[in-house]
Amino acid sequence: MNRRPHWFRWFGVAFIVIWSLVPVYWALNTSLQTDAQVSSKPSNYVPPTPTLSNYLALLTGEGETAAAIRQSSINILIECTLATVITVVLATLAAYAFARMKFRGGKILFYAVLATMAFPAYTTLIPIYRILSTFGLVNTYTGIVLVYVSGFLPLATWILYNYMSSLPLAIEEAGTMDGASRMKILWHIVIPLALPGIISTAIITFLFAWGQFLFPLVLSSDLSTQPLTVVIAALQGRHVVPFSLLSAAGIIAIAVPAAIALILNKYIVSGLLAGSVK
Amino acid sequence: MNTDTRIKNVPVVGPGGRAKLASPRAKRRGRFDILPYALVTPLALFIISLALIPAVFTIVASFFKDQALNPPVRFNGFENFVNLFNDAGVLSSMGNTVIYVLVGVILSTVLAVFFAVILRKKFLGRSLLIAVLILPWALPGVVNGIIWSNIWDSNTGLVNSLLTSMHLIDTYQVFLGQNKFMTILAIEMVQVWQITPLSTLLVLASMQNIPDELYEAASLDGGSPWKVFWSVTLPLTAPGITIAMVQAVIATLNIFDQPYILNGAASTGASLTMQTYFISFQNLDFGQGYALSLIITIVTLVLSLGILKLVYRPVEY
Repeated sequence: MNRRPHWFRWFGVAFIVIWSLVPVYWALNTSLQTDAQVSSKPSNYVPPTPTLSNYLALLTGEGETAAAIRQSSINILIECTLATVITVVLATLAAYAFARMKFRGGKILFYAVLATMAFPAYTTLIPIYRILSTFGLVNTYTGIVLVYVSGFLPLATWILYNYMSSLPLAIEEAGTMDGASRMKILWHIVIPLALPGIISTAIITFLFAWGQFLFPLVLSSDLSTQPLTVVIAALQGRHVVPFSLLSAAGIIAIAVPAAIALILNKYIVSGLLAGSVK
Repeated sequence: MNTDTRIKNVPVVGPGGRAKLASPRAKRRGRFDILPYALVTPLALFIISLALIPAVFTIVASFFKDQALNPPVRFNGFENFVNLFNDAGVLSSMGNTVIYVLVGVILSTVLAVFFAVILRKKFLGRSLLIAVLILPWALPGVVNGIIWSNIWDSNTGLVNSLLTSMHLIDTYQVFLGQNKFMTILAIEMVQVWQITPLSTLLVLASMQNIPDELYEAASLDGGSPWKVFWSVTLPLTAPGITIAMVQAVIATLNIFDQPYILNGAASTGASLTMQTYFISFQNLDFGQGYALSLIITIVTLVLSLGILKLVYRPVEY
């Protein structure tokens, strides 16, 4: 391995950087140009006169498109935050029970939860739609958040279960000796120790929720609940929207997940690995 | 940024495989311990009502005629399945999906192994490189579709511009929506871009379990880096590669966002999941939608198990 030539590593590093960043750079580059500049052949590889007009049009503009982008940005933030908080709280409670307590039916439930991860999420799209419509929850925040939570709970529980199982038992046992209740132990000992795992779980859940498209496409019918992803797809479907504006909308939609990925990638890596060792 | 970015394998213990904290009270008096049930009840409610019941519902309802515009609902045996296999759109999407899966699984796995080899050893800037690597995975598939539609575009796209500048083509080409294989390849590239980071992490975690001594021994035996890769790295990374391939199968078999954005409903790129959506929510034929979901699920499970059997081998050092 040591004899692997240096050029190979540098080729690989350059490849990874170009592969990962060029598409995002291209969107950024397009979003900073005017519609006319985007149509030049060959393309401008850097914006000739960088302009924020596309962003301003979307963020402060008065048209229907701008209003839709703003409302759906609020929607996606609300839906993702609620789904993440509920998922992480419920998964923490359940993972603690699975990792630290023996109870009748516990194993069966645990494996049933894991089994749902083996099924493609879209299998349940139609029945979920019909269940929500039975309860009048189609096109509500509640409906979307409930579906997200049900979708992300198994992975979240699994990550946290693995994390809590790997914590040393001794500290918790000391707590038991001191007469602390198990909920106190969870709150004062387990949760602080498992915090990195909890943060990983929250970040991954949030990113998954942010990336959802088909479920909200089906489950939300208008701007009162549609997340940014659905609105941007609709924007793209209308072919009159130029790439300059579309790219600006795309950059707005990826700003939050991109920042999370670049800053908090350590948590993502550990969480994903804890969640995928099956 | 953290300097130690070595990815550690997280120890996994099955339930009951470890000491438990028994309730002191329950232990002493043998009383029913309600706390664990209270802790798992919310999870159980979610899983039962929005995963298990819908899954059972899908299985049962796929044997019923259930058309919103043509009531009533009635049992019709295998009719939904027969109709699916006589539907030209579904059949063409099956062919498309086969190509999506083949291209996606092969490309993402090869890239993941390559990236993992690059990232295996520590070097300056490695943690930054991992951050960059993760980025495409974290972005919404829909937006990735939009970003890449701008890359493949036939009027202003990056690929056309670059190829023209390099004098590889004379005029701008149409990549999407004309040639079926080209269309699917272009769309699948977008998904490969998104799923390769996770595959890389899985392969990397497995690769880092290989003790350095094995490499040293192989090198001392006079193995070239290429030979060491084939005889040591690759076989010992089989567990990680297996998991990466299974994830890729699940993702590619269920591809929706990317073809929907890049190619719309056009038959050149429509996937099976897109057909499920069209059949259920545009034709409002839920029965057939259930049946197709069920088929996709079964194929996903069979393919995943097949890969586990073919590629996976337990590794001992």
